[in-house]
Amino acid sequence: MSTAPTPALQPGARTPDKLPLGVELIALAVVLPMGWLAQLIATDLSPGRAALGMLVLAAIAVLGILIARPTARLRLPAVAWVSVVGILASIPAFPWGGFVVEMVGEIDFLALSVPCLAFAGLAITTRELDIVKRSGWKLLIVGVFVLIGTFLGSAVVAHLTLGLMG
Amino acid sequence: MTSVRDVGAAWRLYVAAAVLVLVAQLIGIQQLDLGVGVIMFLPLLYAFVLGLVLNPSIVGRFQPFLKSREVAAASPLIVVAIMPFIAKFGTTIGPDIEQIIAAGPALLLQELGNLGTVILAFPLAVWLLKLGRESVGATFSVAREPSIAIVAERYGLKSPEGTGVLAVYVVGTLFGTILYSVMASFIASTGVFDIRALAMACGVGSGSMMAACSGSLAAAVPEMESTILAFAGSSNLLTYATGMYLSLFVALPAVEWMYRRWGRPEATPASAGASTGGDR
Repeated sequence: MSTAPTPALQPGARTPDKLPLGVELIALAVVLPMGWLAQLIATDLSPGRAALGMLVLAAIAVLGILIARPTARLRLPAVAWVSVVGILASIPAFPWGGFVVEMVGEIDFLALSVPCLAFAGLAITTRELDIVKRSGWKLLIVGVFVLIGTFLGSAVVAHLTLGLMG
Repeated sequence: MTSVRDVGAAWRLYVAAAVLVLVAQLIGIQQLDLGVGVIMFLPLLYAFVLGLVLNPSIVGRFQPFLKSREVAAASPLIVVAIMPFIAKFGTTIGPDIEQIIAAGPALLLQELGNLGTVILAFPLAVWLLKLGRESVGATFSVAREPSIAIVAERYGLKSPEGTGVLAVYVVGTLFGTILYSVMASFIASTGVFDIRALAMACGVGSGSMMAACSGSLAAAVPEMESTILAFAGSSNLLTYATGMYLSLFVALPAVEWMYRRWGRPEATPASAGASTGGDR
């Protein structure tokens, strides 16, 4: 597979989603207070405690982003590296594991996803609506079955394998 | 958004997003009992739907406050805003790492379950709906960004295959969260599947869909929350790592083969084979 031109990753003429590093880090600083706000409503954490939790998560995110840049050849998205850093940060056998888990343990994951989905709703462009209009109802139905298919496929295989393993 | 100044210029967008977060959280989790199963409605869903309502490209009335410039700035922020969430998922895996490794075979094998897109959607597209080569692009994967790159390179996005993959991409973007939260909570409440299997199935390689899916699972079975998050997060990470290769080397050749065998013959160009490479 030859190297894909970057625009190919973008559906159509959308603005490139790849931000320069400095912009990405500042954008992270902008979205953090929104996650914090959501935590204040979703959890019993004090404002200071919730802020600490968010900062630890932000540190993990920044590390992941920093690793993703020079390793771009591996074609692993930054979110994959952020996952890996998150795992390594929270393994209890490591000296920092207990601290990290204590800091982020009570952070509500569901509330953390809310800012992202707010942006997702705000980001839908007329272009995407055009694709829906042009595709026709048949492809939209196929799309729904694709989403159901990947979920059920994985669920069935996982369920059977877990059953076999006892 | 290419400079720090652009980040500042989009302040109206942050005000809008913060208001959405506030409203969505205050509504909180709601559930609908259908008798045969329970459907969860999560704050992330309200945030998305209310975001659509405030979106000037959808409801023109908000044009004075948010403009297409803000809409354009929102798109890269999705990826940034998901980072703390993904980090949190990572930290649920560490403490459960032994349980995750013990379930390793199931975790690895269920990645093959992503071929369920082909098994379920290809027959529907080709036999029932009589679609042409759009079927190939539409059904070989769950059509997230890596799949778009594959199709763009091999067929071009203006091809029928490109139409197929883009259509499914948009369906996922628009309806993925609602579909996954409804489906996951409903299937979980029927008790047919091992909850860990459903958690793994949530890892489809899209942060927001995983959020909706594992969130409604956790809301349905709160006592299993940490296990659900650890399994969903691991599976999602595996999908990030393997999904593109599974799509490229297994699913796409399989769909091509199936289409040559069962597809509309008049719609199959002679050069449709996978061997033509990226020259179109």
